[in-house]
Amino acid sequence: MPPDVMPPSDASVAHPQRFRNSLAWFVANCLWITAAQGADTQQLEFFESRIRPLLINHCYECHSGEAKKLGAGLRVDSQASIMRGGDTGAAIVPGKPDESLLIQSVRYETNEMPPNQKLTDAEIAALEQWVTWGAPWPDEGPTRSSDPEQGYDWKTMQAHWAWQPIESLTPPSIEKGARIKNPIDQFIVARLREHDLKQPAAAATADLVRRCFIDLLGIPPTPDEFSRWVTGIHADPARQDQVLSQMINELLERPQYGERWGRHWLDVARYSDTGGWSQDNRPHPEAWRYRDWVVSAFNTDMSYNDFVSRQIAGDQVDSQSAIGTGFFALGPFYSSDGGDPESIAQAKSETLDDRVDTFSRAFLGLTVACARCHDHKFDPIPTQDYYSIAGIFNNTRETETPLVDAEIQKAYHDHQRAIRETQDKVKQIQKQAADAKREATEQEKSEIKTWQDKVKELKASAPPKYDFAHTLEDFGSNDMKIALRGNLLKTGEIAPRRFLRIVEGEERQHFNQGSGRIQLAEAVVSPSNPLTARVIVNRIWMNHFGKALVRTPSNFGTLGEPPTHPELLDWLSAEFMKSGGSIKSMHRLIMNSATYRSSSDFHEQAFLTDGDNRLLWRMQPRRMDVETWRDSLLAVTGELDTTLGGPSIDRIVDSHRRTLYAKVSRNEPQGSDDFLRLFDFPIPRASAAKRTSNVIPQQFLFMMNSQFMINRAKALSQQLQEQATSDEERIKLAYLLLYGRSPTDQELVIAAEFLSPKATHSTNRWQQYCQVMLSSNEFMYIR
Amino acid sequence: MPHRNPLPPVSRREALHRIGSGFGTLAAASMLTGTTQAGTTQVGVTTSPLAPKLPHFAPKAKHVIQLFMPGGPSQVDTFDYKPLIAKHAGERPGTVDRKTLRNTKNGLFPSPFGFKQYGQSGKWVSDIFPHTAQCVDDICFVHSMHTDIPEHAGAMLMFNLGHLQPSRPSLGSWLCYGLGTENQELPGFVAMSPRAQPRGKAANWGNSFLPGAYSGVYANIASMKPDQILRDLKNPNLPRAEQRRQAELLAQLNRLDLEREQQDQQLESSIQAMEMAFKMQFAVPEAFNTESETKPTLEMYGKSEFAKGCLLSRRLVERGVRMVQLSHSIDGYDIAWDTGHGDIEGGHARLARECDQGIAALIKDLKQRGLLDETLVIWGGEFGRAPTSEGQKGRDHDHYGFTVWMAGGGVKPGFTYGATDEFGCSAVENRVHVHDLHATILHLMGLDHERLTYRYSGRDFRLTDVHGNVVHDIIA
Repeated sequence: MPPDVMPPSDASVAHPQRFRNSLAWFVANCLWITAAQGADTQQLEFFESRIRPLLINHCYECHSGEAKKLGAGLRVDSQASIMRGGDTGAAIVPGKPDESLLIQSVRYETNEMPPNQKLTDAEIAALEQWVTWGAPWPDEGPTRSSDPEQGYDWKTMQAHWAWQPIESLTPPSIEKGARIKNPIDQFIVARLREHDLKQPAAAATADLVRRCFIDLLGIPPTPDEFSRWVTGIHADPARQDQVLSQMINELLERPQYGERWGRHWLDVARYSDTGGWSQDNRPHPEAWRYRDWVVSAFNTDMSYNDFVSRQIAGDQVDSQSAIGTGFFALGPFYSSDGGDPESIAQAKSETLDDRVDTFSRAFLGLTVACARCHDHKFDPIPTQDYYSIAGIFNNTRETETPLVDAEIQKAYHDHQRAIRETQDKVKQIQKQAADAKREATEQEKSEIKTWQDKVKELKASAPPKYDFAHTLEDFGSNDMKIALRGNLLKTGEIAPRRFLRIVEGEERQHFNQGSGRIQLAEAVVSPSNPLTARVIVNRIWMNHFGKALVRTPSNFGTLGEPPTHPELLDWLSAEFMKSGGSIKSMHRLIMNSATYRSSSDFHEQAFLTDGDNRLLWRMQPRRMDVETWRDSLLAVTGELDTTLGGPSIDRIVDSHRRTLYAKVSRNEPQGSDDFLRLFDFPIPRASAAKRTSNVIPQQFLFMMNSQFMINRAKALSQQLQEQATSDEERIKLAYLLLYGRSPTDQELVIAAEFLSPKATHSTNRWQQYCQVMLSSNEFMYIR
Repeated sequence: MPHRNPLPPVSRREALHRIGSGFGTLAAASMLTGTTQAGTTQVGVTTSPLAPKLPHFAPKAKHVIQLFMPGGPSQVDTFDYKPLIAKHAGERPGTVDRKTLRNTKNGLFPSPFGFKQYGQSGKWVSDIFPHTAQCVDDICFVHSMHTDIPEHAGAMLMFNLGHLQPSRPSLGSWLCYGLGTENQELPGFVAMSPRAQPRGKAANWGNSFLPGAYSGVYANIASMKPDQILRDLKNPNLPRAEQRRQAELLAQLNRLDLEREQQDQQLESSIQAMEMAFKMQFAVPEAFNTESETKPTLEMYGKSEFAKGCLLSRRLVERGVRMVQLSHSIDGYDIAWDTGHGDIEGGHARLARECDQGIAALIKDLKQRGLLDETLVIWGGEFGRAPTSEGQKGRDHDHYGFTVWMAGGGVKPGFTYGATDEFGCSAVENRVHVHDLHATILHLMGLDHERLTYRYSGRDFRLTDVHGNVVHDIIA
């Protein structure tokens, strides 16, 4: 390597700057790699990164299993076929590029291939290098070939944990010395003990009460609620568990519960109110009805099977259930900007990709969209399966479902028709004159005026558009063809609409009722499908503990992470199915465990063994998400407006409503988006499996300078002035309101110093103090 | 279920915890380096998503200034001199008989502008770019660009994020993700334009699925107030001393909290982020304020809005900003160069006049300050325009061939690469797709476009998707 070059951080890259000529670079790069890391792997990597894409892009159209008509009998999509060659003999003589037909052809020496455009020198050089090496090809033996379906070794691939049936296991028995409140604890403690770790201590009551409130409602308890439950729990040590269970039951009955947990689902549903961009601009003014539908589904504890089915095919049940199909109907609908055919096809294919991707990741924890251009590289999902699902949505379109009686609809439409007809009359008269190539006569002018006045009158008296929801409807029942390499303009064989083979097996039902959505929904919720229950149970667990059992909650495939507690995940899934898919029962089960009620205290020893807390040696402390943080700020200052539901709010920071009601956009940031995204709200362009939690300086600009924070500080300061008489009492009240505890002596001193008139001439000392208290980490973390 | 996840090896984050004991691990952490998901190496303060990271290999450039020309400037009226068009005016030879967006069927239309040769390299440049023409010996012209579709929105996204739909992160986001940025008190990626944002708006500098910290920050240079570039940059009420007191109280309370919690990297980094935010309030307005520039400098750039953007671009990269995207616009039009449909002569002359002096000044200014070597300047639009006419004196879109030029940042100066056919319609020699341009830009910045990946939705995404070849021949 040249001396002026830093060593690469990964040995697979040689620095190329010394070589001006790309051929020299290729060769040198390859030789260097060979020397450094052993030929085979590097050659195969070279094949995967340089040769296979080149063959796919330039040769497959005529020389592969995808070709409509095979050119010269030659296929270059497997080692065997390339060695066998075509009509004119072997395409490659290993080790001898000059004698290889393939090389001669790309050099335009014998044939001229590819015919439309010669490969670049670099590409030809890469092919030559590869043939010189003997044309190494990865062993695709039992697991893959380019033929869909036959390509996977299903038997081997089926062994992956996620495809196995759900087993209801007996929880491991635990010898004494542990707090076991339900089987969850047995699974958790057993694993901790395997690693010589102790079960964490029980959380302090105050922490636990705050944790439960924030977890279930997204807002902390008021001081009254706080003291009621803390006192109740302390009153009778023998009944602590019952009191806590009672508290949990009460919290689950509050409408704020659905607001909090509905929002978790809206992340998965990549919910947004608006497209609002030139290539994705269908307006969705009534999107919020889907949001409210989700909130209500959680509040009424709709069975999960119904929840899923209605989002896929609720339009085939009734108009209320149809609102659930907003799950898809509110997604992006891409269009072309100028009518170019490539662009139109690309837009359609991107829209279908959204539907398949959101569907499969949300409900099944599978990344089916990875199979759009080629068979899934890691999971047994052939491209055909992608188009089997895409085909269902290809027969589905977005529509409006009225939510009012037929009479009201009719009145609206009749009135609108009257407006149109009157407008037509104006046009008619104008046309008469225009056709005769003359000015309108006085008579005509007066008639026009009359009709125009009538239009005005009609418009003024028009009934408002009735309530409706953005939903789905079927418009066909046709199978789709595979789009070769994802290009809808180049199609391959038919992909019958049906479910995924890895879930349903080889014999699959053809989805032929309308678009097939209703059959798709049945397949998703079928008790024989092990994914659906595991995926939702895992999501629920994640939102209680911060981290999921499967830490890639929307990818249960082989590239996802395996579960930290597979037996527990199965046991919970089985319980969930037994409960008829009751999410509230799952909350009770989890929150009544000693595991959930653990302290979040740090332990050096446990940390050294399991730094990532996979074994749950403590409750993971969490930073609040943006909704919880903003709602909690408004709650502690006594300003939160708890109105439920309704149209979304343009600028949430100017409002006192819950953050859930912010209008969110997946494209151009609108009134609320900058604020939300500043605190890691996911851009709802695609299903979000989990929130990130980044600390960035701009967040503190918001805390220090925004009108929102200044207003909260003002309100809190006023509340303290009104509710307490001395400075010390006010400080204590602030600590109780915000953090649920008393200040330490040190904190009292710090506060007194800050607030002392000696320290500053500022007349806003209390407000400044309150703003800091509200901005603190202690407020923002759930422990 | 037989599969059980073994405890993984200690992650970098945990390692950071381990080396410190309690409060104060940050100082130690800052001495560590580790590999990030981007495959690059993080240095310095490790917890900020924008902390500087070492690239994959030695970079040629540290900063990018993209002079984006939305709407599609015509190559044959600017930098791709094709005298044969005049000779065959009105004819429609097979070479140029290709489908355009609006299916124009007219013959060749000679450029209404004269061309002259400039510099040592003798480069032919149109008379509408007299200032830029003075810099040709610093410029590397790529005449063989091509892209996928002849529609603005999609092609603009292709140019800025390598994808026809707005569902991917922008080039600047990828750079910040891979490299972080040098000045923590300024945003890592700044997008600017006068009056109109380019079509597609925030998608052109958006972070898409990358974490929000990597998003570009937009400033409208026509109406910009330096202290409002970032939301909530300025406190409406408090003087600096009071703010300082407040910031210190918050730091004090957060430190107490951290002591109670013992070890938490996020809590530690929040204390630091807060301090940075405090400094940002003063660093950002300073960077965007051009009052301190000397009179000769201001005169060199001239008075146009675009020129102001050029000057700001220099100020930002000088202060360590990773990438600036400056888009051209006049009259509030989001695809300014598209005025070429009806009238090449009027539209292009005016657009060039508005940007030419500023562009040349930027190159000269960077050069005289020794910044050109480490700053890659890129000029170009999402596609070009056909050598045939649309109507009487306009040109339709041409995605088969167009020109992009670069200066500084490790590209060959005074160099021309690739060519369109004899009439300037299609790239024929050493063709460079936009993906190849992206691969090359990343390469110049020290990043391997195949290794700069982000795992999202079950797969590893790249700026270049599954495409892209580095154009080594233009690298000095």
